[in-house]
This record gives sequence, structure tokens and C-alpha cells, in this order.
Amino acid sequence: MDFHPDPSLASFRQEVRQFLQTQVPADLKGQPRSTRSTREQVMRWQKVLNAHGWGAPYWAKKDGGTGWSVPQILVFDDECAAAGTPTQDPFVQKLLGPVLNEFATPEQKAEHMPAVFNGERLWCQGFSEPGSGSDLASLRTRAELDGDHYVVNGQKIWTSYAHESDWIFLLVRTNPEVKKQAGISFLLVDMKTPGITVRPIRSIDDSHHLNETFFDNVRVPAKNLVGAEGAGWSITKFLLNNEHATTADLPVQKRYMQQLRQLATTQRVGGELLIDQPEFALKLARLDAEVQAIGMMVQRVAAMEQEHNPASHTLGSMLKIRGTELQQKISECLVEALGDYGAVAYPDPHEDLDPAQPLLPLQEVARGMANNMFFHRASTIYGGTSEVQRSIIAKMLFQL
Amino acid sequence: MDFNLNSEQQLLQDSVRRYVDKAYSFEARTALVNAKQGGSTGNWAIFAENGWLMAALPEEYGGLGGSLIDTALIAQELGRGLVIEPYLGCAVLAAQTLAAGGTAAQKERLLPLLADGSQRIALAYSEPASRGMPETVSLRAERDANGYVLQGRKSLVLGAVGAQQFIVSAQVSGAKDITLLLVDANSAGLKRQAMPLHDGTWVEELTFDGVQVGADNVLNGGLAALRASLAHGIVTQCAELVGAMEKTIELTAEYLKTRQQFGVAIGNFQALQHRIADMAAEMEVARSMLHAALASVENDDDATRQKTLSAAKALVCRAAKFVCGQGIQLHGGIGMTEEYQVGHYYKRAIVADLLLGGSDRHEAACAAALQSELRAR
Repeated sequence: MDFHPDPSLASFRQEVRQFLQTQVPADLKGQPRSTRSTREQVMRWQKVLNAHGWGAPYWAKKDGGTGWSVPQILVFDDECAAAGTPTQDPFVQKLLGPVLNEFATPEQKAEHMPAVFNGERLWCQGFSEPGSGSDLASLRTRAELDGDHYVVNGQKIWTSYAHESDWIFLLVRTNPEVKKQAGISFLLVDMKTPGITVRPIRSIDDSHHLNETFFDNVRVPAKNLVGAEGAGWSITKFLLNNEHATTADLPVQKRYMQQLRQLATTQRVGGELLIDQPEFALKLARLDAEVQAIGMMVQRVAAMEQEHNPASHTLGSMLKIRGTELQQKISECLVEALGDYGAVAYPDPHEDLDPAQPLLPLQEVARGMANNMFFHRASTIYGGTSEVQRSIIAKMLFQL
Repeated sequence: MDFNLNSEQQLLQDSVRRYVDKAYSFEARTALVNAKQGGSTGNWAIFAENGWLMAALPEEYGGLGGSLIDTALIAQELGRGLVIEPYLGCAVLAAQTLAAGGTAAQKERLLPLLADGSQRIALAYSEPASRGMPETVSLRAERDANGYVLQGRKSLVLGAVGAQQFIVSAQVSGAKDITLLLVDANSAGLKRQAMPLHDGTWVEELTFDGVQVGADNVLNGGLAALRASLAHGIVTQCAELVGAMEKTIELTAEYLKTRQQFGVAIGNFQALQHRIADMAAEMEVARSMLHAALASVENDDDATRQKTLSAAKALVCRAAKFVCGQGIQLHGGIGMTEEYQVGHYYKRAIVADLLLGGSDRHEAACAAALQSELRAR
């Protein structure tokens, strides 16, 4: 063990910082970090990154990525969040991309990779179905071979950003006769194909990122099958195993802590600053400590991932549970720090405001905070619920 | 940063674990606790022989020149075994106070004796009203022709039983800083009262009634030296608790696989699987915080370090109380018995939380630091 900071990481941080300062247009910076930026911003940001050779920060060099180590990736994410850049398309960067690198044919790579790098094609993920959330093996969307096309029928749900995506990667049942897991295949589908209907689901954070997606006799070229027919399950396991160190979304947590500090010194309670209230100071101190501990846990998982240590999976599950619980606590604390105004349903942060309308009290500060809090109720559900993670830990760590 | 043990660290961990497995089986430990001595001189001699007492002392004074990481590695293994020898009190707190605040002559004379185990010194800094925080000192040291005369009381001195000397924090009239003095354990006017703690360790309450101390017994450092040594103490305690949590979880996992209820091993029940997964996650968050504390001692300025250490003390102690408490819960009735190991880890966690400042006090210190930082903006 050695807790001296790695000097090469410090110089890497400088390099990233310099890129952000000198080569990123001002209007792509200074924004609060959210789960995903607008389609237009994601695409522009991707082009800026790609022009700099950083189009795929999470991938190996041989796949056209930067070949950065996991600790370097964390530094990159951290600096981007601090600078307030848009996000990248997480589905293609963290989930689909690695799958294509591993399993796609040269033709499939030639078809999709240039568009990925250049930010011309955004993706969504078609895994969950009504009735099969965490139990993916029970999915029922069918794909039947008809000549050189698959005909897809069925329904997907919780398809984040389907309404603004160009393509979807889809799990379908190609063989109902075999064992549940063995009958599943992995398909790439153009969202413009006739027969696809996207219906929005409004979520409790008052915004639209979720959808139901319906497939009605959708004809998909058979060449869009990734891997062999029936290999969908093992591809999915590969895909879901990809992300450990970034699961706590630490840059977002740090950003919220900054906002909390801001409120602590600007909001007043009974003639004194919020920070002078002992109970608030204590709460902030506890959150600070937890962010620090989770931050170090992220470093540990990153180091393990870098060494391909299998223990990174269980520690990653623990990080997922605790990191997402912390997101909930911090985002709740922000709303509480607003006092009475925490209860106000301010306009949705994505909504264009009528400049003629007077601002509501505290609107400039508080808009979006409650939305974040409500959104983070999903953190302990998506990417494998906390309950699923606990079962994984019990099984893998204790053989229970 | 590198989270893997290097070969020397691995050797150190292995050697302490081997000793704990051999000499500190639960039966052997119980016998030792029942002897009401707070450890054995034989064990202390082995500690010394193996170099554990000198691991983090400077080479020029008979130490091995290691770092706080070595101390943490030793402590973690001692925590796994619920070891009751006064490692924290004598080998860490007193030795590090001397290393940080002793005069060259004092260090030259005493540190080698601490390193080879031939002497024991204990740190008497805590008072009834200080609740573990070093800045509250009401014990008076009045100057006289021969040096100082001490009047007052020190509470819960860790490792005092069997110590030949104490390092005592005192307030000298008119002095701004507190003063640290070496006091002979047999001094006239010094009353010592030994008492056991819940975890089988022993402490002493010291009453100073006109105790005479020579002027050359004054250390160079004051509060700053004390804080430096308490930093080592807090990290030691956090590491011990991580070890205690590890062992509690191992024992519990084993129990879940063997204990049958309703015709199956109770580990088949999801409620219990999820509970032990939460215990493991809690431990790993606490271990991460221990690492953050080690990193802070290495890299940060004094104010940041104090804050991180306080945060670590509170977070790790709370985690240990949760994990060890749940260890009892998952064992059911057997976990409540004195003759079964798991309940003793909970006792250790409770004692650790109360010593060196409780979780509430340390969190309040963090909150106060945050208040002054933010107000200054």
C-alpha cells in the first residue's frame, strides 16, 4: 500500500484541463452535470472529443479508444464534470461500444463505428420488458427469421432516450423451444424502421427520458445480429459486467456538494446563515465524510478493475448500492436546504421559459433540484436494483 | 496510490496474523481476559521480538523506520483477534507522542527501550471533561525550584497497567500551549486506580496530588505533538475495527451456512443474505475511509488532516457498531452469549467508539471546521 498521489495522474489531469480550457467552445462548458445532456449537445461534444482523438475515452487503443487506465478515466470524468461539459452517449460509450469491439463483424464495425466516433448516431437500450425487469431471461419480444430478415414483435419498457435515439440495441427471443437463456439474441435496429412506436413515460422528476417502445412486425436485416443466434445472454453478461468504478457517479455527487455549500452560505434561517445551524452543519459534515469514503472506494474499485481483479465485481456492487444511496441522501438534503421553497414545483429545467413571466421566488437557485431528487429514486433501481446487487454479493462473496 | 500490499507489508501482515491465530485463539484470549491483567508480558515480548513495537519508529532511535501503514496493518490483525495487549496505548499513542514531541535526549534514551519492549510508557492526556479531545486540560503544573508540581486528574489511561512512566498533558499557569511531561509511575503523590473495560483491556485513572516532576522531564512539543500522536491512534483504532468487522462477517457467513432452521441452512433466506451483504458494504466503505485517513496523513495540511481523521473516527466507529451488532443479530441467541466470540466484537466496537473522542464529538468537530471554512468565504 502506498497513498502518495501518482504524479503521472497529476500531469494527465493538467493535460485534460488544458484541453478543456483551450479547445472546447465556451458554450459547451459551465453547465450543471445531469444524467444526459440534450441530443444536440451530446452530438456536438462527441465531435469536439473525436477531433482531439478522444472520441472513445473508455475503450482500448486497438479499438480506436484512448487506452486510458481506469484511474485516468476517473480523472477525465472528474475534470469534464468540473468544467460543466455535456455528457457523452453513455449507452454507446459504456455498454454497446465494448460489445461491438468484442463481438461485431468487420462489416458491422464499418457500419457503426464511424458514426459513433463522429457523434452522428445516438443509441438506446432495449432490454427491459413489462414483466421482465431484473429477470431478463424471461423476456418475450420475439424475432423470427423470414428470409434474410428478422421480424420483431413485442414491447420494451423503460427505454431511456428512445425518443431521441437513432438506433436501439435489442434483446429478442429467437428460439422459444430451448432453455430461457439460450433462446435470446442481440439485435441492432434502426429506430426509423417501420413498425416501431415510441410512447413517452413521464417520470416523477417531471421530465421525459423514459419510454415504452413497441415493435409491430419490424423487419430487421439478419446481418444486424451481433454474435451468433442465441448468444444474446452471454453478450449481455459481458455488457453488464463492464462498469464498476463509475457506477457511483462521483462527479455528480461532488457537484451537488458544491451546491449544498453554496446554499449553506446564501440561505438564511431566523437571522443566521444556514451553515450556522448546528444540525445543518452536522448533516453537511456527515455527507462530506461519506463522499470522501465513497471517493476512496471508487479509487479502490478502479485499481482492481485496472488489474482485472475479479473482486472488482463484488466491490463494484457494494459501490453501486452505497453510491446510489448517497446520491439520494445528498439530493434530498439539497431540497431540504431550500426550506419551505423546497416544496415548490418549479418549472421543469428542460422547459423553455416565457421571458414575460416573472420568476418564482428562489427559482434561479432552486430550479431542477427537486427534479434531481425525484430522479435519483431511480438510481437504486436502474443498472441492477440494490436488492439484486445484495443477492450478487451474498452469492459471490459468501457463496450463499 | 497503490492499494496492494508490497512484499514487506505482506510479510508483516502474515506474521501478525500467524501470531494471532496461534496465540490468540478465542479460548486463549478468554483465559487471558479472565486473568484480569490486560494482556501478558510474554505476548508483549513477542510483539517486541517481531519488531511490531518498533515498526513505525524512526531508525535512528532503534525503530524500523516504517510508516503509519505498518501500524495500520498490525492493528487490523490485532483487531481480528480481539487482542487485549496495550498496543494502542503504549506502542502507538505514547511512542508517537515521544517521537513527535520528545527532546533529542529523551528520544535517544527512551525510544529504543520502547522499541525493544523493555519499558512501557502510557499517554495520560484524557480528562473526565475532555471526552477524548486533547485541548481540554485542567490538570495544573506549577513551576517550582526543582521543576513542576502536578495537581489534577487523568482519566482512562490506555496501557497504564504495567507502565513505568506516563506522558502527562498539563496546563502551566500563564502558558498558552499545553505542556507534556514525563512522570514516573511510582512518583510520590500519584494515585493509580486500575479498571477493566468491556473488551477485556485495562486502563487506569490517575490522580496527581502534588507530584514533583524534574524540569528535564518536559517534552518539547505540546498540543501539536499530542495531535500528531492521536492521528496515529485514530488510524490504529480504525484499522483495528476494520479487522474486527472482517472477522465478524467471516464468522457470520460461516454460521449462515451451517445453522439449520425450517429444514434448510439459514443462509438460504434472502433477508439474511441481504443483511450480510449490507454488513460487507458497510465494512468496505469503512475500509475506504481508513484509506482516506492514511492518504490524508501522508498528503494533507494539518487542518484538512484533522478533519479527515475526525470524519474517519466517526464513520468507522459507527460502521463497526452496525456490523458487529448485526453479527449478533444474525447469530440469534448464541450471539448473546459470553462464551461465543461474536458478541465480543460488538463490545470492542462500543469501547472503541467511546475512547479517543466519541463519534458525536468528532462529527461536531468536523461540523465546526466546516462552519468556519464556509463563513470565511
